[in-house]
Amino acid sequence: MANTSSAGGTLERLRATRVWKSVFRRGPARTNRTRSLAVFGNIFLHFLPVKVREKSLAVRASYYLGSLSFLLFIVLAITGVLLMFYYHPAVPQAYRDMKDLRFVVSNGVFLRNLHRVAAQLMVLVVFWHMFHVFYRGGYKPPHEFNWVVGVVLLIVTLFLSYTGYLLPWDQLAFWAITVGTNIISAMPVVGKQIRFVSLGGNVVGENALLRFYVLHCVVLPLIAIVFIAIHFWRVQKDGGLTVREDNAGPGK
Amino acid sequence: MPDLENKYEAGISSNAKKDPVRVVFVTKKTSAKVTGDTSPQVMSYPHLLMRESIAFMVLVIALVGAALFWDAPLEQLANPLLTPNPAKAPWYFLGLQELLHYFPPLVAGIIIPTLVVVSIVVIPYFNVNVQGKPLWSENRKRNLLIIGGVLIVLGILLVLTDAWTVLAPTALIGLLIIYSYFSVEGTGAFQKYLAARPLSWWVMTWFILVAVVLTVVGTYFRGPGWSWVWPWRSHVG
Amino acid sequence: MNEPLKPEKAPAGHGGQTKSGATRREFLSDVATGALGIAGLGSMVVTYRYLSPNVLFEPPTTFRAGIPDLYPQNSVTILPEQQVYIVRTDSGFYAVSAVCTHLGCITQWKPELNQIACPCHGSKFQQDGTKIEGPAPRPLPHFAITLTGDGQLQVDKLEIVNSSQVLKV
Repeated sequence: MANTSSAGGTLERLRATRVWKSVFRRGPARTNRTRSLAVFGNIFLHFLPVKVREKSLAVRASYYLGSLSFLLFIVLAITGVLLMFYYHPAVPQAYRDMKDLRFVVSNGVFLRNLHRVAAQLMVLVVFWHMFHVFYRGGYKPPHEFNWVVGVVLLIVTLFLSYTGYLLPWDQLAFWAITVGTNIISAMPVVGKQIRFVSLGGNVVGENALLRFYVLHCVVLPLIAIVFIAIHFWRVQKDGGLTVREDNAGPGK
Repeated sequence: MPDLENKYEAGISSNAKKDPVRVVFVTKKTSAKVTGDTSPQVMSYPHLLMRESIAFMVLVIALVGAALFWDAPLEQLANPLLTPNPAKAPWYFLGLQELLHYFPPLVAGIIIPTLVVVSIVVIPYFNVNVQGKPLWSENRKRNLLIIGGVLIVLGILLVLTDAWTVLAPTALIGLLIIYSYFSVEGTGAFQKYLAARPLSWWVMTWFILVAVVLTVVGTYFRGPGWSWVWPWRSHVG
Repeated sequence: MNEPLKPEKAPAGHGGQTKSGATRREFLSDVATGALGIAGLGSMVVTYRYLSPNVLFEPPTTFRAGIPDLYPQNSVTILPEQQVYIVRTDSGFYAVSAVCTHLGCITQWKPELNQIACPCHGSKFQQDGTKIEGPAPRPLPHFAITLTGDGQLQVDKLEIVNSSQVLKV
């Protein structure tokens, strides 16, 4: 791609246009001031700190597990929304839609596979992230509250995975959730009521499917987004990522 | 602002009438932090954000590659009248289901998970060993007696309940702890490494090991009726 | 890695410029942008194809309307699910769309007025679809109507025919 203009590559010429400059007003982030503003003044990026400790950028410092958790959440949200376009949360239409996705819809198999792979990986990565933060002492004061927020996110992740598990309405889904909700009913005093409310009845049926669908697609993602925002914000406000050389963690 | 070695210099005019746009004075190599820190810092843009973008791209490539090869399963239509044997929970709950095999639902399903969650939540508030002192650094005999006592009680309890899938990793950890106790000058690197671990490390490692063993057993080694199967002899999991 | 404060002008970045005008950095930047563009475009195409259903669960566009004797001479009969009028005149059969050409409301046959009337905005048509009055821009289209081997009327809504065409039975 030979360039004849003095401004350089295609991206440079695009950036010089008036339209571009009206959207991205501060100009290219080439000075430390504009770089600060690019992060500080951006509605999405201001959750991140303007500066980070150089040591925390190494892969070994965090294995990017926290970032991967968040990025997996985004992948799941996008693939999940696309899957929602073909899914009716009704019995037995839900199962027919799964077959539809598998045999009829273009790229249906791929999208569902992507969603499921990302879901399994997210549970794994979130657990691993928690263990890694523990081993490098990232929970110590002043980060205690963020640790608790992280545990909340772990539980939300598990519930997201659990509610999603029912949606295909096949034997695997049905009986896994039956086993799970029967465990809930073992809770003293409130167990049976909790099971009744979460299933919308006494059996795993159409009410349960609809409730799990709403939880999986609306309620839990919203809760997750709120707590992710708090989690990021606290990392920034409490002084950035903990790196083990600074904080002698409990080992390893 | 904490006491800094580098003093900042205002090199640009800060006449509010002439140049009203001000963000913050960013001193060299620092940022507004809770505690003073002298380790070098870099701008989030580009260093952090570019790395995150790369991480995202690598992740998407890995996910797409996996999605092209591994098909999500779809079994028969849900049939409330026909329970498959075995009826297994999703893999992250299989450890719990394995525990359910030994303990009643109230214990394995409610009490233990609640205890686990509560323990994890209170970790930062306990602050028992902030410096991360190794287990055997002080009071060696006393600690050995306490640890040994706890292990023996736990062992008896697990044997009585036949919960040997929990017993096995616990025994392994117990052995490693005892092994680390006998670390003296001239012992191997691994033994020295173990001897330097604080108690919190041992507890967490024990927990992870038990959870992994339980999950693996629940996934691959349990067949119809939750009976023990060897995965290479039957297609389970 | 901290860079000293630079003046606000964007640097030209022309170190090592070749005769064709692009530095290695610019070239690589363009290649990277192009690759990301292809990936993005590809994703959009794949998503669009995913979202276009291959199988529809709507009523079929070709359907049978029963034997001709079901329809009396000089009658207009509406088939509600298919939204079609079967009209039998002295010269034969024709099938007229019951969907108003204005904005898609379902019209009604008014035998007392000998008109097809649309309740939404007052368009009125004759029984052969010709517009009498109203905001409808076009007459009601005729669909191809044929006789099957076993003597049934068959209508194909995807095939529009001339309004003078009539099926003689």
